[in-house]
Amino acid sequence: MNTPPQPRFVRPCTRVWLALVTLTLVTYSIGEAGLGGKNIMLLVLAITLLKSQMIASYFMGLRKTSPMWRIIMGSWLVIVGGMIASAYLMGLQ
Amino acid sequence: MSTPSITLHTHQPGTPPGDLAIWLFIFAELLAFGVFFGSFAFSRAHHVALFNQSQLLLNRESGAINALVLITSSYFVVRAVAAIKQGFSRECANWLAGAIGFGGIFLVVKLFEFHAKFAAGISLSTNTFYMFYLSLTIFHFMHVILGMVILAAVMLKARRGGYTPENHTGVETGASYWHMVDLVWIILFPLVYVIR
Repeated sequence: MNTPPQPRFVRPCTRVWLALVTLTLVTYSIGEAGLGGKNIMLLVLAITLLKSQMIASYFMGLRKTSPMWRIIMGSWLVIVGGMIASAYLMGLQ
Repeated sequence: MSTPSITLHTHQPGTPPGDLAIWLFIFAELLAFGVFFGSFAFSRAHHVALFNQSQLLLNRESGAINALVLITSSYFVVRAVAAIKQGFSRECANWLAGAIGFGGIFLVVKLFEFHAKFAAGISLSTNTFYMFYLSLTIFHFMHVILGMVILAAVMLKARRGGYTPENHTGVETGASYWHMVDLVWIILFPLVYVIR
């Protein structure tokens, strides 16, 4: 009788999930602490873009695709992140 | 009488998982959400005090819980794809059922949140912040429902043994769409609930 291949104890996708959960809790904690300002915004945005990149690369599987697909997704993230950051800075003036 | 044909949907190297058409749809959706996010951000730039004050009345816990719920649901879908690649149809269907269940939790949490806002007399016309908050989250809410319908169709087919390690494009197609729904909330949550 064939035994199915045993999964590794902690799969790479499980590590990504744990990282995403941890980073979400960090973002939530920043909100709960009532923190704001340019540096906090940049930190929260950096965490958000890192999480987005992890989902795109590991969950959506774009890390194994040709550069075109990664450039499209990366461009979307950069444009959205850039809009959020520049609009925030506009609001400070 | 038609003769049975065997079509192997093998994954083309370099292309993303799932049907190519879903990726065109995914990028169209991301474009729409991107415009929405940009509109929110630039509108905030003109009404910073109003946005900061209105944000204080949001339920950040439910926003964070829903972020964790969708991330976990997305993870279940990753496991479903991994299972079918090994030929475990039943396991694939079970992971998908878990993902759909978590999608349901997201909807319930969101409905409680919407109910609290509507009960407090908040509507689309309350102010610019709430116009964006309600329209963005309701737009996303509808995408969660669509994602759950797609995952349910994939789950039922998986349960019938309709996918194999060689032919599981449908599972990857549904998975890719669901990850997009997750990705959008990953950005929406800090933008609307946290950044101030």
